[in-house]
Amino acid sequence: MPCVRSATKRNEPAGHVETGNAFPAAGLDFVLRTVLAVILLYACADKIIHPQAFAGIVHDYKLLPEPLVGVVALWLPWLELVLGVCLYTGLMAEGALALTTGLFTCFWLALIVNYFRGVNVNCGCFSSTAEEAAPMLFYIGRDALLLALAVASCAMRLRVVGKGGAFD
Amino acid sequence: MRLVPKIFAQSLILVALSAVLAYGANAVRPEAMSPAKPASAVQLAGKEISVKDAAMLFITGRAVFLDARSQYEYTQGHIQGAISLPPRSFAELYQDIKPRLAGKEAVITYCDGERCPLSHALAEHLRAAGVQNVYVLVNGWTVWQAEKLPIAKGQSAPVSAIKPVRQDALCTECDKKK
Repeated sequence: MPCVRSATKRNEPAGHVETGNAFPAAGLDFVLRTVLAVILLYACADKIIHPQAFAGIVHDYKLLPEPLVGVVALWLPWLELVLGVCLYTGLMAEGALALTTGLFTCFWLALIVNYFRGVNVNCGCFSSTAEEAAPMLFYIGRDALLLALAVASCAMRLRVVGKGGAFD
Repeated sequence: MRLVPKIFAQSLILVALSAVLAYGANAVRPEAMSPAKPASAVQLAGKEISVKDAAMLFITGRAVFLDARSQYEYTQGHIQGAISLPPRSFAELYQDIKPRLAGKEAVITYCDGERCPLSHALAEHLRAAGVQNVYVLVNGWTVWQAEKLPIAKGQSAPVSAIKPVRQDALCTECDKKK
């Protein structure tokens, strides 16, 4: 319907980003958020159940001062849970996406730092047990993909929010 | 509401909410973790052995070393004569490795990192399988290299091709012949 489309364009505010067809952006936004939510919810489960084992893994990263290890080990899995729920439901999705991207960046950098320090760590990404053993480069590559997914989700969310005039 | 302040406000709310949930759930937990002393609460299984004792057993050939790290890391470098046995491959590989443990005074597991759990997990598997005198060399790969003790690189021989070592044979001699 070319007439409707051109009419819409005339009514758009100045500086508005053209997003083309609205459905793919909104649909992709939902799909990406849902994938991230599933990853976060899966990742947090074992760590919430076994906080002490997870504290050991956080300690192994040798990046935090001792008093912060327990605090982070206790809090991080719950943050993942809250972010997962928010990303799935769309509640405070922008904040959740920003935090998720920040979180994945921190995880990725922590792995890279330890790789170059020659410290072999159990990732603790999806499990708090010792059975999850793989080369550090595998973990780094996997976290890079997760980070790319989060960034893509942020970009898609910005397009969807931008359409609603949030930038005005 | 503009986007950046909105994201900032939402992030603060989410951080606060997760913190409340975390500490609330921990408070009602039967085995609540003390955030101040998490490391002491972590249970590490098994007896530990010092690097000097491990080196003595290595030199006299009275111990077998099991590398609990991944196969890739094993290939990059390992204690000379050590056998690769990641905990997750235990069920698959143990029967082939079992003959090599016979007649040894000690079975020493190691990985890398002071609190690396792999060596402890492997020690647990071995004990559950009925192996006696299992010891963990904590932070094994790092301390072994720091002491400049013998190391090797590359793949080990296929487990099926490994013959059981005689009790009086010295591991160091075996490795030199290879």
